[in-house]
Amino acid sequence: MAEDKGKRDSIGMSLRGCRTNNGFVQNEDILEKELDLGSPPDSAVAILGPAEPALQGIRPYAGMPKEVLFQFSGQARYRVPREVLFWLTVASVLVLTVATIAIIAVSPKCLDWWQAGPIYQIYPRSFKDSDQDGNGDLRGIQEKLDYIASLNIKTIWITSFYKSSLKDFRHGVEDFQEIDPIFGTMKDFEDLVAAIHDKGLKLIIDFIPNHTSDEHAWFQLSRNRTGKYTDYYIWHDCRHDGGTTTPPNNWLSVYGNSSWHFDEVRNQCYFHQFLKEQPDLNFHNLDVQEEIKEIIQFWLKKGVDGFSFDAVKFLLEAEHLRDEAQVNKAQIPDTVTHYWELYHDFTTTQVGMHDIVRSFRQTMDQYSREPGRYRFMGIEAYGESIDRTMMYYGLPFIQEADFPFNNYLSKLNTPSGNSVFEVITSWMENMPEGKWPNWMIGGPDNARLTSRFGEEYVNIMNMLIFTLPGTPITYYGEEIGMRNILVTNLNESYDVNTLLSKSPMQWDNSSNAGFSEASHTWLPTNSDYHTVNVDEGEEEIHQDSLPGETKT
Amino acid sequence: MEETSLRNRREDERSIQSIQSKEHKTTSLQKEVGLLSGICIIVGTIIGSGIFISPKSVLSNTNAVGPCLIIWAACGVLATLELGTMITKSGGEYPYLMEAFGPIPAYLFSWTSLFVIKPTSFAIICLSFSEYVCAPFYSGCKPPEVVVKCLAAAAILLITTVNSLSVRLGSYVQNVFTAAKLVIVAVIIISGLVLLAQGNTRNFENSFEGAQLSVGAISLAFYNGLWAYDGWNQLNYITEELRNPFRNLPLAIIIGIPLVTGCYILMNVSYFTVMTPTELLQSQAVAVTFGDRVLYPASWVVPLFVGFSTIGAANGTCFTAGRLVYVAGREGHMLKVLSYISVKRLTPAPAIIFYGIIATIYIIPGDINSLVNYFSFAAWLFYGLTILGLVVMRFTKKDLERPIKVPIVIPILVTIVSAFLVVAPIISEPALEYLYCVLFILSGLIFYFLFVHYKFGWAQRISKPVTMQLQMLMEVVPPEEAPE
Repeated sequence: MAEDKGKRDSIGMSLRGCRTNNGFVQNEDILEKELDLGSPPDSAVAILGPAEPALQGIRPYAGMPKEVLFQFSGQARYRVPREVLFWLTVASVLVLTVATIAIIAVSPKCLDWWQAGPIYQIYPRSFKDSDQDGNGDLRGIQEKLDYIASLNIKTIWITSFYKSSLKDFRHGVEDFQEIDPIFGTMKDFEDLVAAIHDKGLKLIIDFIPNHTSDEHAWFQLSRNRTGKYTDYYIWHDCRHDGGTTTPPNNWLSVYGNSSWHFDEVRNQCYFHQFLKEQPDLNFHNLDVQEEIKEIIQFWLKKGVDGFSFDAVKFLLEAEHLRDEAQVNKAQIPDTVTHYWELYHDFTTTQVGMHDIVRSFRQTMDQYSREPGRYRFMGIEAYGESIDRTMMYYGLPFIQEADFPFNNYLSKLNTPSGNSVFEVITSWMENMPEGKWPNWMIGGPDNARLTSRFGEEYVNIMNMLIFTLPGTPITYYGEEIGMRNILVTNLNESYDVNTLLSKSPMQWDNSSNAGFSEASHTWLPTNSDYHTVNVDEGEEEIHQDSLPGETKT
Repeated sequence: MEETSLRNRREDERSIQSIQSKEHKTTSLQKEVGLLSGICIIVGTIIGSGIFISPKSVLSNTNAVGPCLIIWAACGVLATLELGTMITKSGGEYPYLMEAFGPIPAYLFSWTSLFVIKPTSFAIICLSFSEYVCAPFYSGCKPPEVVVKCLAAAAILLITTVNSLSVRLGSYVQNVFTAAKLVIVAVIIISGLVLLAQGNTRNFENSFEGAQLSVGAISLAFYNGLWAYDGWNQLNYITEELRNPFRNLPLAIIIGIPLVTGCYILMNVSYFTVMTPTELLQSQAVAVTFGDRVLYPASWVVPLFVGFSTIGAANGTCFTAGRLVYVAGREGHMLKVLSYISVKRLTPAPAIIFYGIIATIYIIPGDINSLVNYFSFAAWLFYGLTILGLVVMRFTKKDLERPIKVPIVIPILVTIVSAFLVVAPIISEPALEYLYCVLFILSGLIFYFLFVHYKFGWAQRISKPVTMQLQMLMEVVPPEEAPE
């Protein structure tokens, strides 16, 4: 037995020869000795700290068995701290739990992703060309994600890239579920979405529900009166003799002249709010609403985080087709050809339009259930009065858009303190309570900041939208102060003025500003790209330049 | 000589324990864990939060569905083998290292394990519990740190208290949470299989396409997969509390681990039925995404039950964690008081309280996740050493009694795999942190020489009164050995 004990201790270290302090490791041996209680502990215990006057002549020692322990542990000086510590632990569990609940209850609702950082709007044809055809594309955007992330952008907004027949690739969609070949393939898009999400960024895309291209399959089927497609568009009988059409009423297209166009195939007139190549979808038709819903779902399933709905005020038109009132009553009706010469009481913001928009919202809500996957809904409500714009925020109990885009700042043409103040206060005062503001500084439809205000105001305006409450929305190139290109002999037939702020992104001072390696770009690069480009900006980053500012 | 004595002593203990179970209660750990509870502890500690989160990391390292499922199966096999080769010793790897390599590696293992591996995993599990519970209140963003930490601290304290109060209560809590966990696992698997039967097999076509097969990637995938299996060796720590361990321990392993492996594979299949690999990679918490997609409008059950599951795992860790301290303390490698047993409650209260305190300290600083990543390397180092020790002992101690003798090939294989797991990430992604980790492990030697090897007088003068006062305070005594 003794030998056995010795071996046991030798696991740690042999204790033979250590006379004074053999108590510790030999505890277990002592323990066995102590089993026949009463015998005083051996000398090793003598060195112990303060001991109470021993009951039965025993003092507590390290490694004492329960019989010894019980004689002392009941004393108040041990019992009380023990109880206190125990109840303290229980209390701290309760306190911590209550604290957690309290903090959760008190802490403000956290910002959703679309509130947490700026939105960066990209006109894909001009951002970055990856395949040397002179047109920007989706792969190009993917290549430049690091740059976008380095600006501390949270959300990328890519404007329309649907398969489209119109030259500006924006408003006449031929197929809502296809990528236009110049921008790449659906695979490119899926890769881009994955890459954007991998960087923790979000993607919103344009959606134009009001109309399609006249090349769209639906229109072709509709003009042949094929099945349910017959009523997909707004058809009406109209007189057409020898090249002149008498439209059903005086409604005008946004771009001027009658909004009715005679179709020889169907022998009827169809309605178009914009160009005659952009026939309006008939949103009174539930099948059309269903189709649009399916398109929304299609993109949500692809992982798109939100939409910017374009031109929604044009969704519905009055079915009674009454003439709209002239602004100038005295004007001879036949000479009224400009859009602004009529009050558009029967072609915009009709009763039921908001219901349709809210139904879009509901569709998107079905895809917003996963945490962190809220789908954002923005609405382009440009050119509407402030109270009509605010309607898109929805009603207290009916959610609609997260916000209508606030482009009032991007419409200012002169840098005046008063006008800026007015724009800001009008939005903040009219916005429904509890809603979230936003501030756009530019966009494809507006002139560049530098061209409107002059370059000395670029910094200040960028700073302004970042300091205002709400989501700042900026447009590619505004962060480096790009300027409108000058009107040159553009090889584009359609409204030259809208192209000026869509010139290729100026990356560096190599040829084509680093935008493309092609010999010819679809729009000329601004000639100032040698001094105004991303590279320059990054070099000056420590000298209070623009890209630095976007880094909030 | 030393080793034989240790063995003798263990055999003594075993016979003592078997006597004890029939006799009156002495102040020692009670045998209150049956076969069912044993399986529950295995399943309960293994299925923590891992399977609800890890699939993402495994997939991101393999890049394809097929290899991903294979890794999950391989991890299960590895865990079973590893556990199968080293059963029957209480205190996990410690006694193996002790017998095969002597006290220093054993001491270093208990040092690293006590101060880092176990408490951090306890803390991490409680933190992830807390994150899951808080997340629904903060949809769309991360809950504030302070909330997560408060709740995690509350969880640690609660679990510590429950486990110091009663072994029975601890294992009762364990059974309840394990049941809850199996419910959610069953829900996920069944709904996945239903969807699969409905023909959602799109993601299983070409399941090997794009597979990434570099050595480093595979080892990292294994790391992440095995993290979900972490806890497979927990049962070793509670051998002493297991009723009839010779029968129940192997049974618990043979039933428990394949059960877990099966669940894991089926859960992955369920995930892939609902999500494409890309979607899975982009999901914050895979199980929650699954719930949102499939179980709506009852998708809230997923975070709730994942919360149960993680707190159950934390309880299981605590339940077994105390035993390592207990064994190391008994060998004189740790403060003896840590190995003492509560007189009134018969629980290893000091060890559990010690764990609770260390774990609470660990949740205070910012981010311990990264630290734990590097210490899982340390964990594998010791697992590998243990198995190597097993192989060594096959040759040095041929006469040793072995209740289960696995073919020698298996431990050799496992040793090689462990070596691979330790070395591969270092080679593929060298980082200074591995060096820090090694330095920390070696720094334990300082204490070893001060307190264990040379036993300086002054060191003893500090430790003894501390031990005594703590004994008084907690009413704990050394485990009694029944009269021989």
